[in-house]
Amino acid sequence: MEEKELFAKQLQRLVKNRLSLVGVFIVALIVVAAALAPYIAPYDPIAQDYDALLLPPSPQHPMGTDDLGRDIFSRVVYGTRYALLIGVAVVALELVLGAFLGFIAGYFGKFLGSFIMRVVDMVLSIPTLVLALAIAGALGGGLLVLIIAISVAGWGEFARLVRGQVLYVKEFTYIEAARAIGARDWHIMFKHLVPNCLGPVIVYSTLYMPAAILWSAALSFLGLGAQPPTPEWGAIISDGRSFIASAWWISTFPGIAIMITTLGFNFVGDGLRDALDPKFERQL
Amino acid sequence: MLLYITRRLLILVPVVFGITIIIFFLMHISGDPVRLMYGPNVPKEKILEKRIELGLDKPLYAQYWRWLSQVLKGQMGYSIHLRDSVTRLIKARIVATLELTVVALMFTLVFSIPLGVLSAVKRYSIFDNLGRFFATFWLSMPYFWLGLLFILILGVQLRVLPISGRGGPIWTAAGLQHILLPALTLGLPPMALFTRLVRSSMLEVINEEYIRTARSKGVQESVVIFHHALRNALIPVITLLGLRLPWLFGGAVITETVFAWPGMGRLLVDAVTQRDYPVVQGIVLMLAILVLLSNLLADLAYALVDPRIRYK
Repeated sequence: MEEKELFAKQLQRLVKNRLSLVGVFIVALIVVAAALAPYIAPYDPIAQDYDALLLPPSPQHPMGTDDLGRDIFSRVVYGTRYALLIGVAVVALELVLGAFLGFIAGYFGKFLGSFIMRVVDMVLSIPTLVLALAIAGALGGGLLVLIIAISVAGWGEFARLVRGQVLYVKEFTYIEAARAIGARDWHIMFKHLVPNCLGPVIVYSTLYMPAAILWSAALSFLGLGAQPPTPEWGAIISDGRSFIASAWWISTFPGIAIMITTLGFNFVGDGLRDALDPKFERQL
Repeated sequence: MLLYITRRLLILVPVVFGITIIIFFLMHISGDPVRLMYGPNVPKEKILEKRIELGLDKPLYAQYWRWLSQVLKGQMGYSIHLRDSVTRLIKARIVATLELTVVALMFTLVFSIPLGVLSAVKRYSIFDNLGRFFATFWLSMPYFWLGLLFILILGVQLRVLPISGRGGPIWTAAGLQHILLPALTLGLPPMALFTRLVRSSMLEVINEEYIRTARSKGVQESVVIFHHALRNALIPVITLLGLRLPWLFGGAVITETVFAWPGMGRLLVDAVTQRDYPVVQGIVLMLAILVLLSNLLADLAYALVDPRIRYK
Protein backbone atom coordinates (compact mmCIF):
# COMPACT_ATOMS: atom_id res chain seq x y z
CA MET A 1 0.00 0.00 0.00
CA GLU A 2 2.74 2.42 0.99
CA GLU A 3 4.68 1.76 -2.15
CA LYS A 4 1.66 2.57 -4.26
CA GLU A 5 1.18 5.86 -2.47
CA LEU A 6 4.81 6.76 -3.03
CA PHE A 7 4.50 5.98 -6.72
CA ALA A 8 1.32 8.08 -6.99
CA LYS A 9 3.09 10.96 -5.29
CA GLN A 10 6.03 10.65 -7.67
CA LEU A 11 3.72 10.56 -10.66
CA GLN A 12 1.90 13.60 -9.33
CA ARG A 13 5.16 15.49 -8.99
CA LEU A 14 6.14 14.53 -12.54
CA VAL A 15 2.81 15.73 -13.97
CA LYS A 16 2.91 18.96 -11.98
CA ASN A 17 6.19 19.91 -13.63
CA ARG A 18 5.09 21.51 -16.88
CA LEU A 19 8.43 21.33 -18.63
CA SER A 20 8.66 17.59 -18.06
CA LEU A 21 5.19 17.17 -19.55
CA VAL A 22 6.42 19.03 -22.61
CA GLY A 23 9.36 16.62 -22.61
CA VAL A 24 7.09 13.57 -22.44
CA PHE A 25 5.08 15.00 -25.32
CA ILE A 26 8.19 15.56 -27.44
CA VAL A 27 9.57 12.07 -26.75
CA ALA A 28 6.19 10.53 -27.59
CA LEU A 29 6.13 12.49 -30.82
CA ILE A 30 9.59 11.23 -31.78
CA VAL A 31 8.64 7.63 -31.00
CA VAL A 32 5.48 7.93 -33.10
CA ALA A 33 7.46 9.50 -35.96
CA ALA A 34 9.95 6.63 -35.82
CA ALA A 35 7.24 3.96 -35.74
CA LEU A 36 5.12 5.48 -38.49
CA ALA A 37 7.94 6.89 -40.63
CA PRO A 38 6.78 5.20 -43.87
CA TYR A 39 3.31 6.74 -43.46
CA ILE A 40 4.47 10.20 -42.44
CA ALA A 41 7.32 10.69 -44.92
CA PRO A 42 5.96 11.77 -48.32
CA TYR A 43 8.98 10.38 -50.23
CA ASP A 44 11.48 7.55 -50.03
CA PRO A 45 14.33 8.98 -47.90
CA ILE A 46 17.04 7.71 -50.23
CA ALA A 47 15.27 8.11 -53.59
CA GLN A 48 17.11 10.59 -55.79
CA ASP A 49 15.18 12.96 -58.06
CA TYR A 50 17.32 14.79 -60.59
CA ASP A 51 14.45 17.12 -61.48
CA ALA A 52 14.33 18.42 -57.91
CA LEU A 53 17.91 19.35 -56.98
CA LEU A 54 18.56 21.78 -54.11
CA LEU A 55 14.96 23.06 -54.02
CA PRO A 56 14.15 25.46 -51.16
CA PRO A 57 11.30 24.55 -48.78
CA SER A 58 7.91 24.51 -50.55
CA PRO A 59 4.53 22.77 -50.09
CA GLN A 60 5.85 19.78 -52.11
CA HIS A 61 9.06 19.60 -50.11
CA PRO A 62 8.43 21.19 -46.69
CA MET A 63 12.13 21.16 -45.81
CA GLY A 64 13.51 21.42 -49.35
CA THR A 65 15.71 18.90 -51.17
CA ASP A 66 19.43 18.18 -51.21
CA ASP A 67 21.99 18.06 -54.01
CA LEU A 68 20.75 14.61 -55.08
CA GLY A 69 17.11 15.67 -55.08
CA ARG A 70 16.26 13.74 -51.90
CA ASP A 71 13.42 15.12 -49.80
CA ILE A 72 14.88 16.50 -46.54
CA PHE A 73 11.62 16.16 -44.61
CA SER A 74 11.42 12.44 -45.40
CA ARG A 75 15.08 12.02 -44.43
CA VAL A 76 14.56 13.86 -41.14
CA VAL A 77 11.48 11.73 -40.33
CA TYR A 78 13.38 8.50 -40.99
CA GLY A 79 16.28 9.94 -38.99
CA THR A 80 14.20 9.58 -35.79
CA ARG A 81 14.63 5.82 -36.14
CA TYR A 82 18.41 6.04 -36.14
CA ALA A 83 18.53 8.57 -33.30
CA LEU A 84 16.33 6.40 -31.06
CA LEU A 85 18.03 3.17 -32.07
CA ILE A 86 21.51 4.52 -31.40
CA GLY A 87 20.49 6.32 -28.22
CA VAL A 88 18.74 3.31 -26.70
CA ALA A 89 21.44 0.87 -27.80
CA VAL A 90 24.26 3.02 -26.40
CA VAL A 91 22.51 3.61 -23.08
CA ALA A 92 21.65 -0.11 -22.79
CA LEU A 93 25.21 -1.24 -23.55
CA GLU A 94 26.77 1.27 -21.19
CA LEU A 95 24.27 0.36 -18.52
CA VAL A 96 25.12 -3.32 -18.79
CA LEU A 97 28.86 -2.70 -18.83
CA GLY A 98 29.04 0.26 -16.45
CA ALA A 99 26.37 -0.81 -13.99
CA PHE A 100 27.81 -4.30 -13.77
CA LEU A 101 31.35 -3.11 -13.09
CA GLY A 102 30.14 -0.32 -10.80
CA PHE A 103 28.07 -2.81 -8.84
CA ILE A 104 31.00 -5.15 -8.39
CA ALA A 105 33.26 -2.25 -7.45
CA GLY A 106 30.77 -1.04 -4.87
CA TYR A 107 29.81 -4.38 -3.36
CA PHE A 108 33.11 -6.21 -3.32
CA GLY A 109 35.04 -3.05 -2.34
CA LYS A 110 38.67 -3.35 -1.38
CA PHE A 111 41.12 -4.58 -3.97
CA LEU A 112 38.89 -5.43 -6.95
CA GLY A 113 36.74 -2.34 -6.35
CA SER A 114 39.61 0.10 -6.24
CA PHE A 115 41.20 -1.52 -9.28
CA ILE A 116 37.98 -1.07 -11.29
CA MET A 117 37.65 2.52 -10.14
CA ARG A 118 41.24 3.37 -11.12
CA VAL A 119 40.48 2.07 -14.62
CA VAL A 120 37.30 4.19 -14.64
CA ASP A 121 39.34 7.27 -13.66
CA MET A 122 41.69 6.61 -16.56
CA VAL A 123 38.92 6.08 -19.10
CA LEU A 124 37.15 9.21 -17.89
CA SER A 125 40.23 11.37 -18.28
CA ILE A 126 40.15 10.70 -22.02
CA PRO A 127 37.37 12.89 -23.51
CA THR A 128 34.54 10.48 -24.45
CA LEU A 129 34.11 11.94 -27.90
CA VAL A 130 37.84 11.74 -28.62
CA LEU A 131 38.07 8.11 -27.47
CA ALA A 132 34.91 7.16 -29.38
CA LEU A 133 36.33 8.84 -32.47
CA ALA A 134 39.60 6.91 -32.19
CA ILE A 135 37.84 3.56 -31.61
CA ALA A 136 35.37 4.15 -34.47
CA GLY A 137 38.33 4.97 -36.72
CA ALA A 138 40.20 1.82 -35.69
CA LEU A 139 37.14 -0.35 -36.31
CA GLY A 140 36.32 1.26 -39.64
CA GLY A 141 33.07 3.20 -39.18
CA GLY A 142 29.43 2.24 -39.68
CA LEU A 143 26.35 2.19 -37.45
CA LEU A 144 27.24 -0.82 -35.31
CA VAL A 145 30.78 0.43 -34.85
CA LEU A 146 29.38 3.81 -33.80
CA ILE A 147 27.27 2.21 -31.07
CA ILE A 148 30.16 0.08 -29.81
CA ALA A 149 32.65 2.96 -29.92
CA ILE A 150 30.49 5.35 -27.88
CA SER A 151 29.60 2.64 -25.36
CA VAL A 152 33.19 1.52 -24.84
CA ALA A 153 34.26 5.15 -24.43
CA GLY A 154 31.43 6.23 -22.14
CA TRP A 155 30.60 3.51 -19.60
CA GLY A 156 32.78 5.07 -16.91
CA GLU A 157 30.20 7.54 -15.65
CA PHE A 158 27.61 4.78 -15.19
CA ALA A 159 30.12 2.71 -13.23
CA ARG A 160 30.93 5.66 -10.98
CA LEU A 161 27.26 6.43 -10.39
CA VAL A 162 26.25 2.86 -9.59
CA ARG A 163 29.25 2.32 -7.31
CA GLY A 164 28.45 5.47 -5.36
CA GLN A 165 24.83 4.40 -4.99
CA VAL A 166 25.77 0.88 -3.86
CA LEU A 167 28.21 2.27 -1.29
CA TYR A 168 25.46 4.59 -0.02
CA VAL A 169 22.72 1.96 0.20
CA LYS A 170 25.09 -0.66 1.66
CA GLU A 171 25.40 1.30 4.89
CA PHE A 172 21.67 1.25 5.68
CA THR A 173 20.47 -0.68 8.69
CA TYR A 174 18.18 -2.95 6.70
CA ILE A 175 21.17 -4.34 4.82
CA GLU A 176 22.92 -4.96 8.09
CA ALA A 177 19.73 -6.60 9.40
CA ALA A 178 19.50 -8.81 6.32
CA ARG A 179 23.08 -9.85 6.82
CA ALA A 180 22.50 -10.47 10.52
CA ILE A 181 19.69 -12.92 9.83
CA GLY A 182 22.03 -14.76 7.52
CA ALA A 183 20.98 -13.64 4.02
CA ARG A 184 23.38 -14.66 1.29
CA ASP A 185 25.29 -12.17 -0.88
CA TRP A 186 23.15 -12.75 -3.94
CA HIS A 187 19.97 -12.30 -1.94
CA ILE A 188 21.15 -8.96 -0.54
CA MET A 189 22.30 -7.86 -3.98
CA PHE A 190 19.15 -8.61 -5.92
CA LYS A 191 16.49 -8.18 -3.26
CA HIS A 192 17.85 -5.09 -1.55
CA LEU A 193 20.64 -3.35 -3.40
CA VAL A 194 19.47 -3.49 -7.01
CA PRO A 195 15.93 -2.13 -6.35
CA ASN A 196 17.32 0.68 -4.22
CA CYS A 197 19.87 1.70 -6.81
CA LEU A 198 17.34 1.78 -9.61
CA GLY A 199 16.00 5.34 -9.16
CA PRO A 200 19.20 7.28 -9.85
CA VAL A 201 20.12 4.84 -12.62
CA ILE A 202 16.81 5.46 -14.43
CA VAL A 203 17.23 9.22 -14.09
CA TYR A 204 20.80 9.10 -15.28
CA SER A 205 19.91 6.87 -18.24
CA THR A 206 17.28 9.36 -19.38
CA LEU A 207 19.68 12.25 -18.95
CA TYR A 208 22.33 10.27 -20.81
CA MET A 209 20.14 9.70 -23.90
CA PRO A 210 20.68 13.25 -25.21
CA ALA A 211 24.44 12.92 -24.76
CA ALA A 212 24.43 9.61 -26.66
CA ILE A 213 22.36 11.16 -29.47
CA LEU A 214 24.59 14.24 -29.66
CA TRP A 215 27.79 12.18 -29.72
CA SER A 216 26.53 9.80 -32.37
CA ALA A 217 25.40 12.72 -34.51
CA ALA A 218 28.80 14.34 -34.05
CA LEU A 219 30.64 11.18 -35.12
CA SER A 220 28.37 10.78 -38.15
CA PHE A 221 28.98 14.44 -38.94
CA LEU A 222 32.71 13.70 -38.95
CA GLY A 223 32.06 10.83 -41.38
CA LEU A 224 32.62 7.97 -38.93
CA GLY A 225 29.11 6.87 -38.09
CA ALA A 226 26.24 6.22 -40.41
CA GLN A 227 27.44 5.93 -44.00
CA PRO A 228 25.65 7.47 -47.00
CA PRO A 229 22.89 7.28 -48.02
CA THR A 230 21.63 6.49 -44.46
CA PRO A 231 19.27 9.30 -43.38
CA GLU A 232 20.98 9.85 -40.03
CA TRP A 233 20.75 13.45 -38.75
CA GLY A 234 24.46 14.09 -38.24
CA ALA A 235 25.21 12.66 -41.68
CA ILE A 236 22.55 14.88 -43.32
CA ILE A 237 24.03 17.96 -41.63
CA SER A 238 27.44 16.91 -42.91
CA ASP A 239 26.00 16.50 -46.45
CA GLY A 240 24.63 20.02 -46.32
CA ARG A 241 27.83 21.56 -45.03
CA SER A 242 29.25 22.35 -48.45
CA PHE A 243 25.96 23.99 -49.45
CA ILE A 244 25.60 26.10 -46.31
CA ALA A 245 25.84 29.36 -48.30
CA SER A 246 23.44 28.37 -51.10
CA ALA A 247 21.08 25.79 -49.54
CA TRP A 248 20.81 26.49 -45.80
CA TRP A 249 17.83 24.15 -45.38
CA ILE A 250 19.79 20.89 -45.77
CA SER A 251 21.78 21.34 -42.55
CA THR A 252 19.33 23.50 -40.62
CA PHE A 253 16.33 21.14 -40.31
CA PRO A 254 18.10 17.98 -39.12
CA GLY A 255 19.88 20.18 -36.57
CA ILE A 256 16.54 21.41 -35.26
CA ALA A 257 15.40 17.77 -35.09
CA ILE A 258 18.44 16.84 -32.97
CA MET A 259 17.84 19.80 -30.70
CA ILE A 260 14.15 19.09 -30.16
CA THR A 261 14.84 15.41 -29.44
CA THR A 262 17.62 16.06 -26.93
CA LEU A 263 15.58 18.87 -25.38
CA GLY A 264 12.69 16.44 -24.89
CA PHE A 265 14.84 13.83 -23.17
CA ASN A 266 16.49 16.50 -21.00
CA PHE A 267 13.10 17.79 -19.82
CA VAL A 268 11.90 14.26 -19.04
CA GLY A 269 15.14 13.46 -17.21
CA ASP A 270 15.00 16.66 -15.13
CA GLY A 271 11.36 15.96 -14.29
CA LEU A 272 12.09 12.36 -13.31
CA ARG A 273 14.93 13.48 -11.08
CA ASP A 274 12.74 16.00 -9.29
CA ALA A 275 9.92 13.46 -8.98
CA LEU A 276 12.00 10.56 -7.69
CA ASP A 277 14.11 12.60 -5.34
CA PRO A 278 12.57 15.75 -3.86
CA LYS A 279 15.98 16.66 -2.45
CA PHE A 280 17.08 17.67 -5.92
CA GLU A 281 14.18 20.03 -6.41
CA ARG A 282 15.75 23.02 -4.78
CA GLN A 283 19.18 22.33 -6.17
CA LEU A 284 18.64 22.89 -9.86
CA MET B 1 51.85 23.73 -1.47
CA LEU B 2 54.87 22.87 -3.58
CA LEU B 3 55.01 19.49 -1.89
CA TYR B 4 51.34 18.95 -2.66
CA ILE B 5 51.85 19.75 -6.35
CA THR B 6 54.85 17.44 -6.56
CA ARG B 7 52.89 14.62 -4.93
CA ARG B 8 49.95 15.11 -7.26
CA LEU B 9 52.27 15.07 -10.28
CA LEU B 10 53.84 11.84 -9.06
CA ILE B 11 50.41 10.21 -8.67
CA LEU B 12 49.77 11.10 -12.32
CA VAL B 13 52.63 8.87 -13.50
CA PRO B 14 50.87 5.49 -13.02
CA VAL B 15 47.62 7.04 -14.30
CA VAL B 16 49.27 8.14 -17.54
CA PHE B 17 50.90 4.72 -17.81
CA GLY B 18 47.49 3.05 -17.52
CA ILE B 19 46.07 5.42 -20.11
CA THR B 20 48.82 4.49 -22.59
CA ILE B 21 47.81 0.82 -22.19
CA ILE B 22 44.12 1.60 -22.75
CA ILE B 23 44.78 3.77 -25.80
CA PHE B 24 47.26 1.39 -27.39
CA PHE B 25 45.15 -1.71 -27.07
CA LEU B 26 41.91 -0.02 -28.10
CA MET B 27 43.69 1.29 -31.18
CA HIS B 28 44.88 -2.20 -32.08
CA ILE B 29 41.72 -4.23 -31.46
CA SER B 30 40.79 -3.82 -35.08
CA GLY B 31 43.75 -6.06 -35.90
CA ASP B 32 45.35 -4.74 -39.02
CA PRO B 33 45.72 -1.03 -39.72
CA VAL B 34 47.55 -1.80 -42.96
CA ARG B 35 44.62 -3.64 -44.47
CA LEU B 36 42.33 -0.77 -43.52
CA MET B 37 44.85 1.61 -45.04
CA TYR B 38 45.14 -0.14 -48.40
CA GLY B 39 41.73 -1.71 -48.84
CA PRO B 40 41.03 -5.29 -49.93
CA ASN B 41 42.56 -5.31 -53.44
CA VAL B 42 46.24 -5.03 -52.62
CA PRO B 43 48.67 -7.96 -53.10
CA LYS B 44 49.69 -9.87 -49.97
CA GLU B 45 53.40 -9.12 -50.42
CA LYS B 46 52.81 -5.39 -50.34
CA ILE B 47 50.79 -5.66 -47.13
CA LEU B 48 53.43 -7.88 -45.55
CA GLU B 49 56.17 -5.46 -46.55
CA LYS B 50 54.32 -2.50 -45.04
CA ARG B 51 53.60 -4.46 -41.87
CA ILE B 52 57.29 -5.19 -41.40
CA GLU B 53 58.18 -1.57 -42.18
CA LEU B 54 55.77 -0.35 -39.47
CA GLY B 55 56.82 -3.05 -37.02
CA LEU B 56 53.35 -4.61 -37.05
CA ASP B 57 54.67 -8.15 -37.57
CA LYS B 58 55.89 -8.26 -33.96
CA PRO B 59 53.66 -9.40 -31.10
CA LEU B 60 51.35 -6.77 -29.59
CA TYR B 61 53.21 -6.41 -26.28
CA ALA B 62 56.47 -5.83 -28.17
CA GLN B 63 54.80 -3.16 -30.28
CA TYR B 64 53.42 -1.52 -27.12
CA TRP B 65 56.82 -1.60 -25.47
CA ARG B 66 58.40 0.04 -28.49
CA TRP B 67 55.76 2.79 -28.50
CA LEU B 68 56.02 3.34 -24.74
CA SER B 69 59.79 3.64 -24.79
CA GLN B 70 59.47 6.19 -27.59
CA VAL B 71 56.85 8.14 -25.63
CA LEU B 72 59.10 8.18 -22.57
CA LYS B 73 61.80 9.81 -24.70
CA GLY B 74 59.29 12.44 -25.83
CA GLN B 75 58.92 10.86 -29.27
CA MET B 76 55.55 9.51 -30.32
CA GLY B 77 56.53 7.81 -33.54
CA TYR B 78 56.08 8.91 -37.12
CA SER B 79 52.94 9.78 -39.00
CA ILE B 80 52.24 7.28 -41.78
CA HIS B 81 50.47 9.81 -43.92
CA LEU B 82 52.19 13.14 -43.22
CA ARG B 83 55.72 11.69 -43.05
CA ASP B 84 56.62 13.80 -40.04
CA SER B 85 57.26 13.15 -36.36
CA VAL B 86 54.06 13.03 -34.33
CA THR B 87 55.65 15.13 -31.58
CA ARG B 88 56.45 17.86 -34.10
CA LEU B 89 52.93 17.73 -35.55
CA ILE B 90 51.39 18.11 -32.11
CA LYS B 91 53.79 20.88 -31.10
CA ALA B 92 52.76 22.90 -34.14
CA ARG B 93 49.08 22.71 -33.16
CA ILE B 94 48.84 22.56 -29.39
CA VAL B 95 48.94 26.35 -28.95
CA ALA B 96 45.96 26.83 -31.26
CA THR B 97 43.93 24.23 -29.33
CA LEU B 98 44.82 25.68 -25.93
CA GLU B 99 44.03 29.19 -27.15
CA LEU B 100 40.59 28.09 -28.35
CA THR B 101 39.69 26.14 -25.21
CA VAL B 102 40.91 28.82 -22.80
CA VAL B 103 39.01 31.61 -24.60
CA ALA B 104 35.89 29.41 -24.77
CA LEU B 105 36.14 28.68 -21.05
CA MET B 106 36.50 32.41 -20.37
CA PHE B 107 33.31 33.07 -22.33
CA THR B 108 31.55 30.38 -20.31
CA LEU B 109 32.61 31.80 -16.94
CA VAL B 110 32.35 35.50 -17.79
CA PHE B 111 28.72 35.04 -18.81
CA SER B 112 27.56 32.34 -16.45
CA ILE B 113 28.79 33.68 -13.10
CA PRO B 114 27.00 37.07 -13.28
CA LEU B 115 23.91 35.43 -14.81
CA GLY B 116 23.82 32.80 -12.08
CA VAL B 117 24.20 35.43 -9.34
CA LEU B 118 21.42 37.50 -10.89
CA SER B 119 19.17 34.41 -11.15
CA ALA B 120 19.72 33.66 -7.49
CA VAL B 121 19.27 37.23 -6.26
CA LYS B 122 16.11 37.75 -8.34
CA ARG B 123 14.77 34.28 -7.66
CA TYR B 124 11.52 33.23 -9.41
CA SER B 125 11.49 36.40 -11.52
CA ILE B 126 10.81 36.14 -15.26
CA PHE B 127 14.54 36.40 -15.70
CA ASP B 128 15.13 33.37 -13.50
CA ASN B 129 12.51 31.23 -15.26
CA LEU B 130 13.76 32.18 -18.71
CA GLY B 131 17.25 31.33 -17.53
CA ARG B 132 16.15 27.84 -16.49
CA PHE B 133 14.54 27.24 -19.86
CA PHE B 134 17.53 28.47 -21.83
CA ALA B 135 19.88 26.40 -19.70
CA THR B 136 18.33 23.17 -21.00
CA PHE B 137 17.97 24.70 -24.44
CA TRP B 138 21.70 25.35 -24.82
CA LEU B 139 22.52 21.97 -23.31
CA SER B 140 20.58 20.30 -26.14
CA MET B 141 22.51 22.13 -28.85
CA PRO B 142 24.90 20.07 -31.00
CA TYR B 143 28.23 21.93 -31.21
CA PHE B 144 28.76 21.29 -34.89
CA TRP B 145 25.31 22.55 -35.77
CA LEU B 146 25.65 25.67 -33.64
CA GLY B 147 28.93 26.34 -35.43
CA LEU B 148 27.27 25.94 -38.83
CA LEU B 149 24.47 28.32 -37.76
CA PHE B 150 27.04 30.93 -36.74
CA ILE B 151 28.79 30.48 -40.07
CA LEU B 152 25.48 30.80 -41.94
CA ILE B 153 24.17 33.85 -40.08
CA LEU B 154 27.22 35.85 -39.02
CA GLY B 155 29.65 34.76 -41.71
CA VAL B 156 27.64 34.18 -44.88
CA GLN B 157 24.54 36.37 -44.47
CA LEU B 158 25.80 39.34 -42.44
CA ARG B 159 29.50 38.96 -43.29
CA VAL B 160 30.63 40.44 -39.98
CA LEU B 161 33.11 37.81 -38.83
CA PRO B 162 35.60 35.48 -40.52
CA ILE B 163 34.40 31.87 -40.53
CA SER B 164 37.46 29.77 -41.06
CA GLY B 165 41.04 29.39 -39.98
CA ARG B 166 43.13 31.18 -37.37
CA GLY B 167 44.07 34.83 -38.02
CA GLY B 168 47.23 34.76 -35.95
CA PRO B 169 48.03 35.17 -32.25
CA ILE B 170 45.06 36.28 -30.18
CA TRP B 171 46.46 39.73 -29.35
CA THR B 172 46.30 40.80 -33.01
CA ALA B 173 43.05 42.17 -34.45
CA ALA B 174 42.79 39.39 -37.05
CA GLY B 175 43.49 36.74 -34.43
CA LEU B 176 40.75 38.10 -32.18
CA GLN B 177 38.22 38.26 -35.01
CA HIS B 178 38.92 34.70 -36.08
CA ILE B 179 38.64 33.21 -32.63
CA LEU B 180 35.28 34.79 -31.73
CA LEU B 181 32.94 32.38 -33.54
CA PRO B 182 34.74 29.12 -32.69
CA ALA B 183 35.14 30.17 -29.04
CA LEU B 184 31.45 31.12 -28.78
CA THR B 185 30.47 27.80 -30.36
CA LEU B 186 32.51 25.93 -27.78
CA GLY B 187 31.76 28.21 -24.83
CA LEU B 188 28.01 28.83 -25.05
CA PRO B 189 26.52 25.33 -24.54
CA PRO B 190 28.27 24.67 -21.19
CA MET B 191 27.44 28.23 -20.10
CA ALA B 192 23.90 27.16 -19.29
CA LEU B 193 25.08 24.40 -17.01
CA PHE B 194 27.34 26.74 -15.06
CA THR B 195 24.66 29.41 -14.74
CA ARG B 196 22.33 26.89 -13.13
CA LEU B 197 25.02 25.66 -10.79
CA VAL B 198 26.06 29.18 -9.71
CA ARG B 199 22.39 29.92 -9.07
CA SER B 200 21.71 26.86 -6.91
CA SER B 201 25.00 27.17 -5.10
CA MET B 202 24.34 30.88 -4.37
CA LEU B 203 20.89 30.03 -3.05
CA GLU B 204 22.37 27.55 -0.63
CA VAL B 205 25.07 29.89 0.61
CA ILE B 206 22.75 32.86 1.01
CA ASN B 207 20.89 31.19 3.90
CA GLU B 208 24.05 30.62 5.91
CA GLU B 209 24.54 32.26 9.26
CA TYR B 210 27.58 34.27 8.25
CA ILE B 211 25.57 35.98 5.52
CA ARG B 212 22.97 37.02 8.09
CA THR B 213 25.78 38.20 10.37
CA ALA B 214 27.31 40.26 7.58
CA ARG B 215 23.95 41.83 6.76
CA SER B 216 23.11 42.54 10.36
CA LYS B 217 26.36 44.33 10.99
CA GLY B 218 25.43 46.64 8.12
CA VAL B 219 27.69 45.47 5.33
CA GLN B 220 26.58 46.74 1.93
CA GLU B 221 24.41 44.25 0.02
CA SER B 222 26.75 44.19 -2.98
CA VAL B 223 29.68 43.32 -0.71
CA VAL B 224 27.60 40.60 0.94
CA ILE B 225 26.71 39.09 -2.44
CA PHE B 226 30.08 39.29 -4.14
CA HIS B 227 32.54 39.05 -1.28
CA HIS B 228 30.82 36.78 1.22
CA ALA B 229 28.39 34.69 -0.81
CA LEU B 230 29.89 34.33 -4.28
CA ARG B 231 33.30 33.33 -3.03
CA ASN B 232 31.82 30.39 -1.14
CA ALA B 233 29.37 29.57 -3.90
CA LEU B 234 32.24 29.13 -6.35
CA ILE B 235 33.55 25.94 -4.74
CA PRO B 236 31.07 23.54 -6.42
CA VAL B 237 31.56 25.52 -9.64
CA ILE B 238 35.23 24.58 -9.59
CA THR B 239 34.26 20.93 -9.05
CA LEU B 240 31.99 21.05 -12.10
CA LEU B 241 34.74 22.78 -14.04
CA GLY B 242 37.07 19.87 -13.35
CA LEU B 243 34.40 17.37 -14.41
CA ARG B 244 33.53 19.23 -17.61
CA LEU B 245 37.09 19.65 -18.89
CA PRO B 246 37.08 16.41 -20.91
CA TRP B 247 33.89 17.65 -22.61
CA LEU B 248 35.62 20.91 -23.42
CA PHE B 249 38.45 19.15 -25.25
CA GLY B 250 36.00 16.78 -26.95
CA GLY B 251 33.94 19.76 -28.13
CA ALA B 252 37.12 21.42 -29.36
CA VAL B 253 37.67 18.53 -31.78
CA ILE B 254 34.30 19.19 -33.42
CA THR B 255 34.60 22.97 -33.31
CA GLU B 256 38.05 22.91 -34.88
CA THR B 257 36.75 20.76 -37.72
CA VAL B 258 33.78 23.04 -38.42
CA PHE B 259 35.86 26.23 -38.41
CA ALA B 260 39.02 24.77 -39.99
CA TRP B 261 40.89 25.82 -36.83
CA PRO B 262 44.48 24.55 -37.14
CA GLY B 263 44.58 22.69 -33.81
CA MET B 264 45.10 19.14 -32.58
CA GLY B 265 41.40 18.27 -32.91
CA ARG B 266 41.35 18.79 -36.64
CA LEU B 267 44.59 16.87 -37.01
CA LEU B 268 42.98 14.05 -35.01
CA VAL B 269 39.92 13.89 -37.26
CA ASP B 270 42.12 13.87 -40.37
CA ALA B 271 44.36 11.18 -38.87
CA VAL B 272 41.36 9.02 -37.94
CA THR B 273 39.91 9.18 -41.45
CA GLN B 274 43.33 8.44 -43.00
CA ARG B 275 43.99 5.55 -40.57
CA ASP B 276 47.14 7.29 -39.39
CA TYR B 277 47.18 5.47 -36.06
CA PRO B 278 50.49 6.79 -34.65
CA VAL B 279 49.07 10.33 -34.88
CA VAL B 280 45.74 9.24 -33.36
CA GLN B 281 47.49 7.54 -30.41
CA GLY B 282 49.70 10.57 -29.84
CA ILE B 283 46.88 13.11 -29.85
CA VAL B 284 44.54 11.04 -27.67
CA LEU B 285 47.35 10.62 -25.14
CA MET B 286 48.16 14.34 -25.30
CA LEU B 287 44.51 15.32 -24.76
CA ALA B 288 44.24 12.94 -21.78
CA ILE B 289 47.37 14.49 -20.24
CA LEU B 290 45.94 17.97 -20.79
CA VAL B 291 42.72 16.91 -19.00
CA LEU B 292 44.72 15.51 -16.07
CA LEU B 293 46.85 18.66 -15.79
CA SER B 294 43.84 20.97 -15.93
CA ASN B 295 42.14 18.86 -13.25
CA LEU B 296 45.20 19.52 -11.11
CA LEU B 297 44.82 23.24 -11.81
CA ALA B 298 41.16 23.06 -10.78
CA ASP B 299 42.20 21.44 -7.49
CA LEU B 300 44.73 24.19 -6.89
CA ALA B 301 42.00 26.75 -7.55
CA TYR B 302 40.14 25.35 -4.51
CA ALA B 303 42.93 26.58 -2.29
CA LEU B 304 42.69 30.05 -3.80
CA VAL B 305 38.93 30.30 -3.25
CA ASP B 306 38.76 28.53 0.08
CA PRO B 307 41.58 29.45 2.47
CA ARG B 308 40.52 26.61 4.79
CA ILE B 309 41.92 24.17 2.25
CA ARG B 310 45.66 24.25 2.71
CA TYR B 311 46.87 20.96 1.42
CA LYS B 312 49.06 19.28 4.00
